[in-house]
Amino acid sequence: MSRLGQLQEEFQRAVLTRSDGFNREVVDSGRIGPARRVEIYADAYRGRLVDCLADSYEAMHSLLGDEQFYRLAHRYIDAHPPRHYSIRWYGDQLAAFARRTAPYSEHPYIAELADFQWQLLTAFDAADVAPLTADAVARVPADAWPCLRLRFHPSLRRLMLQWNVPAIWRQIDAGADRPEAPRRSEQPRPWIIWRSELMQRFRSLGADEAWALDHAREGASFAALCEGLCDWHAETEVAGRAAAMLKQWVGDGMVVGLATD
Amino acid sequence: MSSDRPGFLGFGLGLRIPHYQSIIEDWPEIDWFEIVSENYMVEGGKPLYYLDLIRERYPLVMHGVSLSIGATEPLNRQYLRELKALADRVNPRWFSDHLCWTGHAGTNMHDLLPLPYTDEAVRHVVARVREVQDFMERPMLIENVSSYLTYRQSAMTEWEFLSHIAEQAECLILLDINNIYVSAVNHDFDPYDYLNAVPVDRVAQFHLAGHTNHGDYLIDTHDHAVIDPVWDLYAAALRRFGAVSTMIERDDHIPPLPELLQELEQARAIALPILEEQAA
Repeated sequence: MSRLGQLQEEFQRAVLTRSDGFNREVVDSGRIGPARRVEIYADAYRGRLVDCLADSYEAMHSLLGDEQFYRLAHRYIDAHPPRHYSIRWYGDQLAAFARRTAPYSEHPYIAELADFQWQLLTAFDAADVAPLTADAVARVPADAWPCLRLRFHPSLRRLMLQWNVPAIWRQIDAGADRPEAPRRSEQPRPWIIWRSELMQRFRSLGADEAWALDHAREGASFAALCEGLCDWHAETEVAGRAAAMLKQWVGDGMVVGLATD
Repeated sequence: MSSDRPGFLGFGLGLRIPHYQSIIEDWPEIDWFEIVSENYMVEGGKPLYYLDLIRERYPLVMHGVSLSIGATEPLNRQYLRELKALADRVNPRWFSDHLCWTGHAGTNMHDLLPLPYTDEAVRHVVARVREVQDFMERPMLIENVSSYLTYRQSAMTEWEFLSHIAEQAECLILLDINNIYVSAVNHDFDPYDYLNAVPVDRVAQFHLAGHTNHGDYLIDTHDHAVIDPVWDLYAAALRRFGAVSTMIERDDHIPPLPELLQELEQARAIALPILEEQAA
């Protein structure tokens, strides 16, 4: 390795681990010693990443309070030095980290809230595609409906949540000091997050809609959706139910394309 | 790549999220904006929506923080491709990044870390600046960073290091007046020595900003107004470098836009008499 590369390796190690091996490479000007000078960089490194996590995970910060949140943030920083060129992506592993690391793993709502917040963030700057209007759907000829397939907005995310984290998030976002306590439901529930008119939106789904949406995203035809929905609805009602879902998805701004071949 | 100094854009600001709405409602009289490139290297949503509106009405320049021109691992080609895609969308007057390194062996510390001022580092950075300029097909500016330590290995001053690189790589310089001041205090040198050694024909942009005073040392935080000694240094820079596009960077404790516009007026009030005198 070049001398420059060695210096950078030692400097980086000192910043990441707060070790003193790099101090010997630093000029001692008397007024401020090498240790303090290196420490300025180590402090800045941690401070910047903690701020970044607090920014991306504002609701979790609020729910856990300063002390708990900063402890979690520092443990995450120790385990996950940033790799991506953009700090915008720092914190992408926080949900997985909280899920596998005690004591956070003993409180699964922490990982779930982290996942929910991260998905909201990725929906925020996902690719732009103009949503389809209701008129475009109305123009589909009746005989083409069985073959109808849909394309969805790139910001659409599907989650399964067992805790009331969307309600907690919403209350904190609205400025609540004391949001409702974390509460676990019997079964995980399907949720979606997407962006419409530049704003992130989210809502829960019934089991039938979750099934239909998942299959529609995988390219299932309208006829296949109707057939599958027979598990929940009478055969005479499935076409109406599937059409109502499609109308809602279009109205929500989630659908960006139709194909009928 | 030609190193001719690009034209004078006047007095600009860093484009920041809290100001988006007031910019597109009032279209304030700002000569140009500088964007932080990485903030717009995303696929869509609000950042690009506002950027597209604002770039219709104002000249833009791009300012990056992740190039890591001084690192020893190969340049990040994915980053460069995305940077160029953004430049193709925005059509900036120029793009800039810092004379620094940001990480080693795949880690990115998201900090602007100083380089040792050695011949080895000059050669290394010169080759990389040339590579980046060729790839981007646009003029590149390198910016002096604030620093808090000096390497024992350094064999020249920071201003010699910066000047050698700009001359040999045939690139331009974004001179951060506040960074000169901060480093001068932190390393006990005379900021005017720095200013007076930088080649006149290379400087294409000035940054002005505030910093935090920790008593023994200063930290470049961009969260305060520009202080008087930095304004004085700016006046001296104008006398030496002439009409150079000037902007104020504020990244934390961001005040409402009118307050920053007032600060920008101060820059204009200092600059115009000096530039008029030079023109006479």
